[in-house]
Amino acid sequence: MFRKWGVFLSKSKQKSLNAPDLLLTISIFTLLIVGVIMVYSASAIWADYKFNDSFYFAKRQLLFAITGILAMFFIMNIPYLTWRKYANPILIVCFILLIAVLIPGIGLERGGARSWIGVGAFSIQPAEFMKLGLIVFLSTYLANNQKYITSFSKGFIPSLLLIFVAFGLIMLQPDLGTGVVLVLTCLVMIFVAGARISHFIGLGIIGLVGFLGLIISAPYRINRITAFLNPWEDPLGNGFQIIQSLYAIGPGGLMGMGLGQSLQKFFYLPEPHNDFIFAILAEELGFIGGTFILLVFLLLLWRGIRVSLAAPDTFGSLLGLGIIGMISLQVMINISVVIGLIPVTGITLPFLSYGGSSLTLTLCSIGILLNISRYAKL
Amino acid sequence: MKRVSNVTMRKRLVTVFLLGILVFTIITIRLGYVQFVIGDELMNRAQESWSRDIIFEPERGKILDKNGEIIAENVSAPTVMIVPRQIKEPQKVAEHLASILDMSVKDAYQEVTKKASIVRIHPEGRKISEERADAIRTLNLDGVYIAEDSKRHYPNDEYLSHVLGFSGIDNQGLMGLELYYDDLLKGERGTLSFFSDAKGHRMPKMADVYEAPVDGNNLQLTIDSRVQTIIERELDLAEAKYNPDGALAIAVDPNTGGVLAMSSRPNFNPEDYQKVDPDIYNRNLPIWSTYEPGSTFKIITLAAALEEEVVDLHEDEFNDDGSIKVGGATLHCWKSGGHGHQTYLEVVQNSCNPGFVTLGEKLGAERLFSYINQFGFGQKTGIDLQGEENGILFKPEQVGPVELATTAFGQGVSVTPIQQVMAVSAAVNGGYLYEPYLADEWLDPVSGQTISKTEPTLKDRIISEETSEEIRNALESVVAVGTGRGAYVEGYRVGGKTGTAQKVGDDGKYMSNNHVVSFIGFAPADDPEIVVYLAIDNPKNTVQFGGVVAAPIVGNIMGDSLRALGVERREDGLEKEYRWPDEPLVEVPDLRGLTKKDLQEYLVNLSIEANGSGDYIIDQAPEPGVKIPQGEEIRIYFDEEKPD
Repeated sequence: MFRKWGVFLSKSKQKSLNAPDLLLTISIFTLLIVGVIMVYSASAIWADYKFNDSFYFAKRQLLFAITGILAMFFIMNIPYLTWRKYANPILIVCFILLIAVLIPGIGLERGGARSWIGVGAFSIQPAEFMKLGLIVFLSTYLANNQKYITSFSKGFIPSLLLIFVAFGLIMLQPDLGTGVVLVLTCLVMIFVAGARISHFIGLGIIGLVGFLGLIISAPYRINRITAFLNPWEDPLGNGFQIIQSLYAIGPGGLMGMGLGQSLQKFFYLPEPHNDFIFAILAEELGFIGGTFILLVFLLLLWRGIRVSLAAPDTFGSLLGLGIIGMISLQVMINISVVIGLIPVTGITLPFLSYGGSSLTLTLCSIGILLNISRYAKL
Repeated sequence: MKRVSNVTMRKRLVTVFLLGILVFTIITIRLGYVQFVIGDELMNRAQESWSRDIIFEPERGKILDKNGEIIAENVSAPTVMIVPRQIKEPQKVAEHLASILDMSVKDAYQEVTKKASIVRIHPEGRKISEERADAIRTLNLDGVYIAEDSKRHYPNDEYLSHVLGFSGIDNQGLMGLELYYDDLLKGERGTLSFFSDAKGHRMPKMADVYEAPVDGNNLQLTIDSRVQTIIERELDLAEAKYNPDGALAIAVDPNTGGVLAMSSRPNFNPEDYQKVDPDIYNRNLPIWSTYEPGSTFKIITLAAALEEEVVDLHEDEFNDDGSIKVGGATLHCWKSGGHGHQTYLEVVQNSCNPGFVTLGEKLGAERLFSYINQFGFGQKTGIDLQGEENGILFKPEQVGPVELATTAFGQGVSVTPIQQVMAVSAAVNGGYLYEPYLADEWLDPVSGQTISKTEPTLKDRIISEETSEEIRNALESVVAVGTGRGAYVEGYRVGGKTGTAQKVGDDGKYMSNNHVVSFIGFAPADDPEIVVYLAIDNPKNTVQFGGVVAAPIVGNIMGDSLRALGVERREDGLEKEYRWPDEPLVEVPDLRGLTKKDLQEYLVNLSIEANGSGDYIIDQAPEPGVKIPQGEEIRIYFDEEKPD
C-alpha cells in the first residue's frame, strides 16, 4: 500500500527511498478536514455578519489547505539535505524580513502589532518564516558543531545569542506567542543536541530572575497572570477572552452541543475561528471531540519524534525534532490558553485555526518532515 | 558522527516525547475538569449571559380581615415606557412628557434620548394615575408606550396603617406586615427568556422559555375590621377631644392571642408614607412604646397574690391612711388621705397603692418577679411584626424593699402595651399565656383555598382557673363599683383596671401633670371573648386619671365591639353603683307651648314650680336639653295666650 504514494514521488529517487510516514500523513489530513469544518462552523455567524457570506472564511481555509497540501507534497520531494546547504542564506533572508517588517510602510499594522509584510491575501508573517529558518540554521549549526555542544562558551552561548536576537526582533513587533514558541523550540533542539543539563538550570535561574525583573519594572504585566488565575475578577477586561472561552468549553460536556450548535460563536467569543477555535470545538463536540483532537496531535508528535530518532544523520534528527517540536509546542500553548491553564499569549492552533500563511507554512514544514521520514532507517 | 553523542540524543528525544505526553495528559485533565467538574456552573453562567429576560411582575397577595374584607389590594398603575429609537422629535416628546409627568423638560429629554432599547422613566413615569396615562395615550406619540403595572392600594387610608405597613415602588414590602410577610406576599417574578447573541439579536432556532409569574398568597388576618373601625373611631374622637401626644388601642381574643384590632396615633396613610416623619411609621406604639404601666400592672400583682394564696380578698382587710413606709421611704396613695379601712377587694376596686404594696410584701420579691417574668414581661411577645421592644424590669440583684413595693403597683417597671394585653389575657382566660399573632390564614390567590392556618401558640400556663375566676370577679367589681366605672357596659359584664402612669422626663424625674392614662378591660367577665387596652399619652384639658379619660373610651369600644361580634348579653352581672357625679341625670324636656293638661305625663320625674296664670306654658328654666339631677325643680311660666 505504501506504493500508492509513488504518484507524488519523482521517479529517479523512488527506488532508494521509503514511502513517507503514513500515520503522520493520515493525522495531517484528519486535522485539516476537521480544521476546515470547524473554521466553517465557528466562523459562519461572524462571516455572515461581516461579509454576508457564511462560507467566507471556510472557502478561504479550504483554499489554503489545498495550496498547503500541494506545497507539502512539493517539499516532500526536496531532499532535506538541500536545506542544510542553504541554511545561511535562508537565515539571512529571514532576518532581513524580520527587520523590514518593523519599518512603518513596509510592515502592516494589525491589531496593535506590526507582524505582516505584503498585500492583502498575499501577505506573510516574517516571524513564521524565522521560526522555520532558525530551525534549519540551528540544525545545521548544531550538527556541524556537535563536539562543542557541551561547552558553555563555544556551544551553548552562541546558539542562545542567535535565538535571543531573533526573539528580540519578534518582540519588537510585538508577537509574544511566536517569540515564545521560537525560543522554546530552539531550547528543545539544543537540549536534544546534547547540551549540559547544568547549563539549562543556569538558564532557568536567569530566566526566572528576568521574569521577576519584568514584573517588578512593570506591574501591569501581573494583570495578565491574575486574569488567567481568576478571570472573573475583571470579566470585561483581562478576563474577558478566557471567560468566554470557558463559557464555550464548560457547557460542551461529554458529547458537546452538536456540530454547528455553539452559542458562544454568536459574537460572545471574539473571532471564534482564530486562536480560540478549540473552545468552539470543545463546545460543539464535547470532551470526546476535544480529546480526539488531542490524541491526533499526540500521534503527530509520536510520529515526528520517531522520524527524528530514525533520521540517518544528526542534521535530519534535529531538523525533524525542530519541526515537530515547533508544531507541538504551539498546540500545547494554544490549547492551554484556551482551557485557562496559562495566560493568553496569542498563538494559533496549527491546522485548525483560520489563517493562510501560517497553515501553508506549517504544511511546508510537515513536507520537510515527511521527506526526512523517507530516509529513515527503521 | 560519534556514537556516544547519538545515544544521548536518542535518550533525550525519548525524554522530549515523554514530556510531551505529560503535557497532553495535563491538558486532558484540565479539559475534563472544565467540562465535568465546573461545567454545570459554567453552563449556568453562560446561560445567564446568553439569555435576555423580559420580566413579568406577579400580583402581590391581598390582605384581608378575618371576615374576608379587603384591607390591602392592588390597583392598576400604568408605567411609561420609552423606545428612544422610535422617537422622531425628542424635544417635542420631552416637552409633552414633562408637562404631564411633572418633571423638567431637560430630564425628560435625557430619558427619551437614552442609548437603550427600552427606557423606563423612574420615578416620575412609574405607577402613574389613569388620568395621566390617558393624557399620554391621547397624544399618540411614536415610541412612547403605556405598560400595565400595579401598585398597592389601601382602601381604608390610615386605617390599621402601622400594622399593615406599606410596600415600595417595586412592590417590595418595607414596613409592617408588608415587610414581615414579604416573601409570601410578593410572589415570584415570571420571565420570558430568549437567547440572544452578544449583539442583542434573538438567536435563531432557540426556543423562548416562559416562566409564568406566581402571584403572592392572600393573607387573612385575625383583625376584625368591625372592631378595628370602632377603635379607629374612638381614637379619632379621643384625639380630637384631648389633643394627646399619642394614643393607642389594642383588642385581642384572649382565647387564642389573635389580635382583633390595633391602632395608634399619630398614624399615616400607607400610600403616602413619604409625606410623614419616618418616626411616625417606624414606631408602632402598641409594640414599640415602653413606659411605666401604672395601676393596670396591679392585675399581675393580684394574680400572683391570689395564686400563691397570700390574701383572701373578702376576709383580709387593710387600713389605708394615705401612705405607707417601706425601707425608710414613704409611698403615697393616689388619693390623699387614703381610702381608710378596706377589704382587699376594696383595695383592688379603689386601686389603693399602699394596699398593693402589702400584697407585694406578702409575696416577696422572688415570687412577685417570677410571676412577672412568667406573664411575659421583659421579653418580646413574639407578635408577627418587626420593631417590638422588650421593656425593662428591675434586675433581681437591684430589688430592695422600695423596688418591690413600687413594682407591686406598677411603677419602676417598663413594659409594652402588647405585653400588658397578653398578660391580662392570661390572667382572665384561665391562666393561658398565648403568643399574639396577626396572620391567621394564607389563601391561594386563585382558588381562595386555605394554604395554611396559624394555630394559637400557647407559651405557658401560669395560674389556675379558680384564681383566674377570682381575678375576673374582682376586676368586674372594679368596673361596677370601683375606679373603672366609666367602662361599664350594661349587660356585658365588663371587667378591667384603670392605669395612670407617671412619665419620666428628660431630667430623669417624674413629670408633673403629664401622664399616660390607660385602661385595660375584658368582657364578658364569666367567659372573656375580648381584651381591650387603651392608653392616651398626656391628654389635655382634663383630669389625667385613667378612670376619667380612658375607661369611658374602653367602655364605648367594648359595648360596640361586643355587639358587633354578636356576643350574647349577660343577665347576672354586677349592678353599677352610682355615686356622685355618677347619678343618672335627667334631660330637661321642652315644655314650652304645652298646656297644663299635657304636663300631667311629665310630672312623674320632675318637680315643677309654677309661675303666672293661664293654660299655656310660655317659658321655662332651665332651658330644654339641659341635664339636671333627678328631683330638681323646673320653673315654668304660664300665660293665657298660646305662644307663637
